[in-house]
Amino acid sequence: MSLVTSLIMRQMRAPIIILILGYSISILGMVLTPGLDDQGNLWHMNFFDAFYFVSYTATTIGFGEIPYPLSNAQRTWALFTIYLTVISWFYSLGKIISLVQDPTFREALKINQFTHQLARIPDSFILICGFGETGHALASALTERNIHTVVIENNTQIIQTLPLEDFKLVVPGIKGDASNPEDLIVAGLQHPKCAAVIAATASDETNLKIAVTSKLLNPEICVICRSELEEYESNMFSFGTDFVVNPFDTFANIFAMAMHSPSLHLLYDWLTGVPDTDLSNPVYIKEGHWIICGFGRFGEGLYQQLLKSNIQVTVIDPSEKKREKFLNRPENSGNDFIIGTGFDAHTLTVAGVGHAVGLISGTDNDSNNLSIIMTAREINPDLFIVARHNKKTNEKLFIATDANIIMQPSEIIARKIRSLLVSPLMIAFLNKARNQDPTWANITISRIMGALGESIPNIWTLHVNQEEAKALCMVLRLGRIMRVGNLLQDPRQREQQIEAIPLLLKRNQKLLLMPTDDIAIKSGDEFLFCGTPGANRSMRWTLNDIHSLNYIMTYEETHDSFIWRKITQFIKSKERRNRPRKNPHRIK
Amino acid sequence: MNREKVVFSFFMILALTLNYGFYAGEVDNPNHHNVYELFAVVIVNMIATVLKFGDRSQMGAMLLATSLVALVQLFSASIVWTYVVNIQGDPMTPDTMSTIISLSGGALIANFISVILLIIETSMMRH
Repeated sequence: MSLVTSLIMRQMRAPIIILILGYSISILGMVLTPGLDDQGNLWHMNFFDAFYFVSYTATTIGFGEIPYPLSNAQRTWALFTIYLTVISWFYSLGKIISLVQDPTFREALKINQFTHQLARIPDSFILICGFGETGHALASALTERNIHTVVIENNTQIIQTLPLEDFKLVVPGIKGDASNPEDLIVAGLQHPKCAAVIAATASDETNLKIAVTSKLLNPEICVICRSELEEYESNMFSFGTDFVVNPFDTFANIFAMAMHSPSLHLLYDWLTGVPDTDLSNPVYIKEGHWIICGFGRFGEGLYQQLLKSNIQVTVIDPSEKKREKFLNRPENSGNDFIIGTGFDAHTLTVAGVGHAVGLISGTDNDSNNLSIIMTAREINPDLFIVARHNKKTNEKLFIATDANIIMQPSEIIARKIRSLLVSPLMIAFLNKARNQDPTWANITISRIMGALGESIPNIWTLHVNQEEAKALCMVLRLGRIMRVGNLLQDPRQREQQIEAIPLLLKRNQKLLLMPTDDIAIKSGDEFLFCGTPGANRSMRWTLNDIHSLNYIMTYEETHDSFIWRKITQFIKSKERRNRPRKNPHRIK
Repeated sequence: MNREKVVFSFFMILALTLNYGFYAGEVDNPNHHNVYELFAVVIVNMIATVLKFGDRSQMGAMLLATSLVALVQLFSASIVWTYVVNIQGDPMTPDTMSTIISLSGGALIANFISVILLIIETSMMRH
């Protein structure tokens, strides 16, 4: 028995017993009270008559005095019956209504509904702890790629508005404290379909607690943590958290990538973006004098990257302590540290905004950041501006400032985690791509644009095994050679190419970037592709349908007519099925 | 002493004793079986059943099941009585009476099991 029915039953005990008692007393009284029949003889109602009479009286239907007009004694009892049973009904109805409004009952009802929603998820889901800006961005990013997500959040209001959000898939949510193991279990931590837990709350301590709980209660699960402080980060890693994502480090790395190789940055942007949205334009970061306003975690991370490239930097921050610390380090000798806030023209002019090429407004206050950008733009309209955007609600303002790069921590985290979850091959690809020279990235970008057009490609993986590529495995077992190029042929028109590009081949733990068309496929290979959803479907067709595969692999044209070709294909397949032993190697 | 337990046990044992009272006597003799007694058995059994609602333990489930069986048997007996006497309008015959009594005999066994289970549960709590 579920908790909900059990609660209803337990609460309904008293009202039902009151009803039974009220009815039975009334019926018994009605049977015992003497009356007269139509001939004036003494007459008693039997139980059937009495039950009928009490039923229509108690429910205030009131058919009248059936079967004979009641005697005065019976009318007296009928009066009693009316008050007794009608009051019993009112009491019971009141109880039912108060039960429906009972907070415990409602909670049980919600948990019940949530459990049903979990059961309806077809394959696997990812549990997001905390539905703040990061959680929201994550749910949106993951559902865009058809990954089911489930949310646990402490704030009742957020959970109540969750069903109103416009996600591609239904995102079940439950109210609960993610740092409490029991709540996490209710949210599906130990559910067999739970593939990963993402700790995305604003507090590092809570995230740490979630990571510990998840690893202890379900060691096989993938745990990803958001973290902003280094000491927590190392702690999280110490007990096997799979990935720790720090928005500031992540952004600093992306910034460095954009600085060293704009095309590589563009490639990263495309492959981790939301599929089927417009492709972004490349960002060119100029070398020269840079100004950093706000020397917190964000500003410092970017400073280190600029320092590595030997770029001259002026830092503006109101903290004296930070200045002392900054000046004490020998590697900072070439750079200035000015005490100030940065949103007044004076400080900015002293820092040299007039001749600077770039400005980073990296304080943790959005109004300050906006003010810094406005003031700096007024003095030097050509500045390259990197803006730190803290609160989602200010999004429109930041877009209006026309800053060259807008860094939103929750977006950065969402993008990073999505690339972690989409495929491990994707991470391998991005890591390997980072070590390539810029021309390689340029060639790759033009290939993707040439083949796939103007929108962000979909990403998918292919593992050459029995489950994912039935037909292909069969052909490989027979010793025939199939090349990467064959996979890219259209199974409907083999002279044409499908809109897909192989990004990575993993074979025996070795990685090969952009595998060429002439590479022969081996069983056990893993591929990473990007392309259109249609190309993905066509490829699955080739991989699993032996006829499509044969069509692609046959190079000499045998029949011109489409119908005739289909007929011969059909006949041959029949023959093969009927005589498997005589011709085991024939697949034409 | 737990008052809830007292009420609970009272109704279960009363259901059994009343049921026996109705059941006792010659099986086909209408004079030995009183309609008021059947009414009382039905009402007390209904109350005993409702008292078992919402208990999530294994024993609670068994007790609820036996009570529901008793109720089904007693309702059938009452329906037979109502059908013959009120709908067909015939006087009570030994034939009908024996049907009603055998149905109530089934209910008696169910009620008996209920009480046994109750005793087992109580004695287990002692240890």
